[in-house]
Amino acid sequence: MTNQHAVSRRRALRATAGLASFATPWLLPEVALGAGGTLTVGLPNNVATLDPINQSNHDSMAVTQVVFENLVEVDVNGEVKPMLAAGLPRVSADGLAWTFDLRDDVKFHNGQSLTAEDVKYSFDFVLDPNNKALRRPVWEPIKQVVVESPTRVRFEMNHPYAPWLRYMTKYMGIFPKGSREQHGADHFRNAPTGVGTGPGIFVQSRANDFVEFRRNPNYWRRNVPAWEKLVFRVVPEDSVRVAYLMANEAQVISAPPPRDFTRLRRLAGLQGDTKVALGSRCFIATNNLKPPFDDVKFRRAMSRAIDRQKVAELFYGLLDPSALPTPAKAWWFNKQASDSVDFDLDAAKKLLAESKYPNGASFDMIIPAEPYLLDVKDAALVVQAQLAKLNIKVNLQVLEATQVIREVINGNQTAAMVVFMSPPDPIFTIRSSFYPGQAVFKGSNYKNDELIALIDKSYAATTREQLKPIMDRIQTILADDCPNVNLGTAHAANLWRSTVKGFEVNTGLTMRVRDVIPG
Amino acid sequence: MGNALRRVAFSGFVLFVVSLLLFFLTRAIPVSPARIVLGADATEEQVAVFDRDLGLDRPVLVQYAGWIGGILRGELGNSYITNRPLGAQIAQSFPITLELVCLAFAFALIVAIPLGVLSALNAGRAVDHAARLFAVIGVSIPGFWLGLLLIVQLAVPTGLFPPGGYVPLSRGLGAHLNSLMLPAFTLGIHYVAVLSRLTRSSMLDALSQDYIRTARAMGLPAPLVWLYAFKNAAAPVVGVAAMSFGYCFGWALIIEQVFNIAGLSRALLTGIRERDYPLIQLITLIITAIFIAANLAADLLNRALNPRLGAATQ
Repeated sequence: MTNQHAVSRRRALRATAGLASFATPWLLPEVALGAGGTLTVGLPNNVATLDPINQSNHDSMAVTQVVFENLVEVDVNGEVKPMLAAGLPRVSADGLAWTFDLRDDVKFHNGQSLTAEDVKYSFDFVLDPNNKALRRPVWEPIKQVVVESPTRVRFEMNHPYAPWLRYMTKYMGIFPKGSREQHGADHFRNAPTGVGTGPGIFVQSRANDFVEFRRNPNYWRRNVPAWEKLVFRVVPEDSVRVAYLMANEAQVISAPPPRDFTRLRRLAGLQGDTKVALGSRCFIATNNLKPPFDDVKFRRAMSRAIDRQKVAELFYGLLDPSALPTPAKAWWFNKQASDSVDFDLDAAKKLLAESKYPNGASFDMIIPAEPYLLDVKDAALVVQAQLAKLNIKVNLQVLEATQVIREVINGNQTAAMVVFMSPPDPIFTIRSSFYPGQAVFKGSNYKNDELIALIDKSYAATTREQLKPIMDRIQTILADDCPNVNLGTAHAANLWRSTVKGFEVNTGLTMRVRDVIPG
Repeated sequence: MGNALRRVAFSGFVLFVVSLLLFFLTRAIPVSPARIVLGADATEEQVAVFDRDLGLDRPVLVQYAGWIGGILRGELGNSYITNRPLGAQIAQSFPITLELVCLAFAFALIVAIPLGVLSALNAGRAVDHAARLFAVIGVSIPGFWLGLLLIVQLAVPTGLFPPGGYVPLSRGLGAHLNSLMLPAFTLGIHYVAVLSRLTRSSMLDALSQDYIRTARAMGLPAPLVWLYAFKNAAAPVVGVAAMSFGYCFGWALIIEQVFNIAGLSRALLTGIRERDYPLIQLITLIITAIFIAANLAADLLNRALNPRLGAATQ
């Protein structure tokens, strides 16, 4: 009898627990929207992970950067600035040793002070293959991290690797020594409390819905942040995201619909701006092993047949035309090289006549169904029409975005029109496409020994003066061989309410909300 | 009773077949979830490690056995993307969808049945024409368009309703119901149209029967005559209404997206986009189970309301 009673009580408890979990959504704590001191940001994509070493999505990066910080950061204009380091690093003459002095006033959200041991621990963790950090390949040139004192740390490299400072913001974060063992991977992925140094302290999140932070009262930057509460709200539909902004349910939104952007930014009560996303690249990934792209003159003819200004008009100013894998507004852009493969229909006809395919050709081009940064479907139609003038027939095939990326990575495509985004660094996207063994190399199958040597050489260049001639030569080679047909560079765009102060569009694409003052 | 049990057993079999189809179809999607989780620039080696860790490199039948075994044991598994237990995610999102569907359905029933009856009792008059016009519009307007229209033309300019999102009950009953008003209306309006048309035609049919004529000839008061007619007209309406409840979960897929409600359907769409196989399978199975249950309920209710149906199949 007693036993029966106990069983039924257990059942009752289980039933109560079940009912309680069922009732959870109705009893969720309040997430105030647009209230005083609260900044609400509308994002199009779900925040898949908050772990800084496993980032693959720019919306997740924007959220993660509220919690995690780095030795240096790339600011909204693309400049490298000290962050947890007191200044920029000292680099040895051979470019193999980088020494950072740390700030002495930084505390983690758990109250623990930041030391060089934490920096070493964070990088050692990422570099350990057993930890399967997604971004480990980016940090592989680091040979070892040496703690010189509690506030000084030295990075020793296997070879010169100057651009690595630019990769920290997107692909790294500093966490306390021992925190990975203490908390486990899920803590970092879903609820990283106590492990960051950033302006926001994680409060709660709900999958596909929101992530909420509160102001870090001990943040090392004075009088920052100005918000008391920060909410990132996932709003996938473009028009609904705009409605959120107009109804003041969100004060800042990312990825506004390009067609409406110009009109919306002029509306009373709203502001908007764009900034060229220096790491982005809209291009046709041509597979140089497959005809007709096995002929350099055909590739050049195709590049010269495309009127990029006309293509750019489709995007209402959100695409800067460029015939090279470099942004036309970047300091390392080689205009002369770009002009040599830019639109010139007569030159295109001449090149085609000299190519292996003087009577034109036909090829399949895959394009993504879902837009990433830009919707390229209309651009593909314009390119198709422009190439038809040279008797080049483009057969368009729309595939799911991830499938397009897979085809390019595996080198299965003949041609694919895609938009890629990388850190705002001159060499990253060029290396990933044209350096053997890199992620998208098979998508081009273009190998040039001089280019490879120049990419290696670029890693030793630590100043613009050193890097510019290298980039000039790289772009000349890419213009001469035209291994891909480039269309231009996408813009990062945001809309926000006029009452919001201090918001700037980030050239790195991820929204920077640390310094924003909500209205 | 035996017949009802047979129907229940058949429903279980259908669910099993659906689970099998669902699993194999999900695995037929060409891109591994690794590519979504790890990003475009992940190496093939990283993708292979991801697949091995999650058992995606095993034969599909072995994967299915593991999955369905887990479901039967009550182990719903974890998300491939967030590694969070799916049970918790379902417990968060399902009640939201259920509430939305229940509200929409209640709205549909409360409006549709009186409207259909009123239309039938006033057949050929202005009220009937207006009700039929309303029904045609309700059936014809796409839910996603109506939703966007309500957001842009009603919620944003007036501020009476939020433009989207789900307000939990903890913020007050008024705010909570207010956040569901437009989505429930958008979801329910289609069924108002469907059910009111059915009620009208069913009622007209009942009103033309001999027993109603007899009742009228015997001088029964009109409300009583209408009640008798409605009792007989209700059977097909109840059957279709029960099935509509299942269909509502399908339409909620679109409505939740338009109104930015993080319910079951939103979780499903995100799961599809992120190739979160266990999440896709579980949610689709839940929606299938609801639909099968709604069908079963419709069938059993029809038999209860019309015993001749049961007798005919015995």
